Amino acid sequence: MTDTASRASLESLLMSRSLSDTELMQTSNMAPDYAILPDVSVLKIGGQSVIDRGRAAVYPLIDELVTAKRSHQILIGTGAGTRARHLYSLAAELGLPTGVLTDVGAAVADQNAQMLGYLMARHGVPVVGGSAFGAIPLYLAECGAAIFSGMPPYDMWQHVPSEGVIPPYRTDAGCYLVAEVYGCRNMIFVKDEDGLYTANPKTDPGAKLIPEITVDELTALDLPDLVIERPVLELMRRARYVKSVQVINGLRPGLIKRALAGEHVGTIISAA
Amino acid sequence: MANTRSHPEPSFAAKDVPSALMRQTLLDRELVRPLDRPVIRLLPWLNVVVIGGRSIMDKGRDAVLPVVEELRAALLEHRLLILTGPGIRGRHVLGVGLDLGLPTGVLAALASADAEQNGHLIAALLAEQGVSYLPHAAIAHQLAVHLSASRAVVSNGYPPYELYEFPPEVGKIPPHRTDTGAFLLADAYGAARIIYVKDVDGVFTTDPTITDGSRPEFIPRVGAAQLLAMNLDTLPVDTLAVELMAHAKHLTEIHIVNGLTPGNITKALQGEHVGTLIHAD
Repeated sequence: MTDTASRASLESLLMSRSLSDTELMQTSNMAPDYAILPDVSVLKIGGQSVIDRGRAAVYPLIDELVTAKRSHQILIGTGAGTRARHLYSLAAELGLPTGVLTDVGAAVADQNAQMLGYLMARHGVPVVGGSAFGAIPLYLAECGAAIFSGMPPYDMWQHVPSEGVIPPYRTDAGCYLVAEVYGCRNMIFVKDEDGLYTANPKTDPGAKLIPEITVDELTALDLPDLVIERPVLELMRRARYVKSVQVINGLRPGLIKRALAGEHVGTIISAA
Repeated sequence: MANTRSHPEPSFAAKDVPSALMRQTLLDRELVRPLDRPVIRLLPWLNVVVIGGRSIMDKGRDAVLPVVEELRAALLEHRLLILTGPGIRGRHVLGVGLDLGLPTGVLAALASADAEQNGHLIAALLAEQGVSYLPHAAIAHQLAVHLSASRAVVSNGYPPYELYEFPPEVGKIPPHRTDTGAFLLADAYGAARIIYVKDVDGVFTTDPTITDGSRPEFIPRVGAAQLLAMNLDTLPVDTLAVELMAHAKHLTEIHIVNGLTPGNITKALQGEHVGTLIHAD
């Protein structure tokens, strides 16, 4: 189909068909892709894995982020961590639905964003959220970094998991989707392990590091535990921009800058 | 702490709050399972009514006013959360946005604004009865107090996914739209029922609005999985809403009714079966 023909066909399908129509969905695939912030990298700082460790982990990380923002534009998303686990546990025990858990869990990621914000304030780095997202390009151009709270804004509209009530799309998914919608260059998950392991390395001494893996391979392995939220894998399959992510150890100095430069320093998970 | 084994320095111990989920990742299936408890219904008396954008709003006065009059009469008896879809303006903005190369998350935010505007129109028509439009945040946090002060409120059927919308499996059209947003919200609140007000009697084997000689067969009652397996060309509700029925905690059925037939909304609110009932299997 020529460009003009496909445009005309898309417009007529949009006006006449259901939005779930297969032909319409396929035709929408031919629309061009415009990456909004193609030079930006999103870094997700783990809640339980990094921020809950306090000064020992966070201060050195702040230094690295401040150095990194001189040469890279970075959006820093925060995880929730141990207080969210307490809230989820309590709310689930009370019989509350996933939507309420999502809402209260978001506040914990907000607290972590605030704390990083105060620590980075002297370097000019703002915390942004909600409608202030529109100002992100200015912040990145002026100071190279901005902090946001990682929880997606799904609130009472969160998907319900197949079992239990723990929100399936949390801060890993939230940060990943920010990277994807802005068409960012890198998505780096900063955690407290060297990457993805065959089992939880905190509890299983036989766990082996997997330096590189595809989403399909990882899904086939069907690991009982995983270093990033499982639904992120499905989102990656559908992605147009961020088709690979890297999980790195934020407790090891120097890795953030190397990962931003595209070096392989942790586990790279790729969509294909 | 035992778990510092792989860490470069032992001084990185995390500050924990004790809880059943304390020291694990929330990603381990076995460890999260003990939290599977019955979920309570937050607003068991809530009726969610979804007004189609293209099917009702875009048809203008002739379709909208009778629906509004039914709702006006119904709110004396029922407490209603009325949600609206974006309709043709949503299609138009998707068309412009797609042509500009904008991503799905941006398209979702754009179309959502059109659903909101339709909500403002309905709320204005019912203002005399104390009905207002509430934004997403008030729906998520203050619905109970608003519905104690008023018999009905209106909001945007689109969920607040916006920039955080999922990339769809195929193409770039935002997958979480009015029908899906309304379903997720109604289930989260443990609503009594959800009624989708459309311009057809319910689900047909082929699109009843297309006159090409095919004989559409009406399906009055069907299971969600069975309906999805039929792989029909067109459904009067978004496919994703039907798919999500499998995981719902409370809503075991959805009701699709023809809003152009007077009396249908009233009957459906009374629990009468007047359109297609899709039930969770």
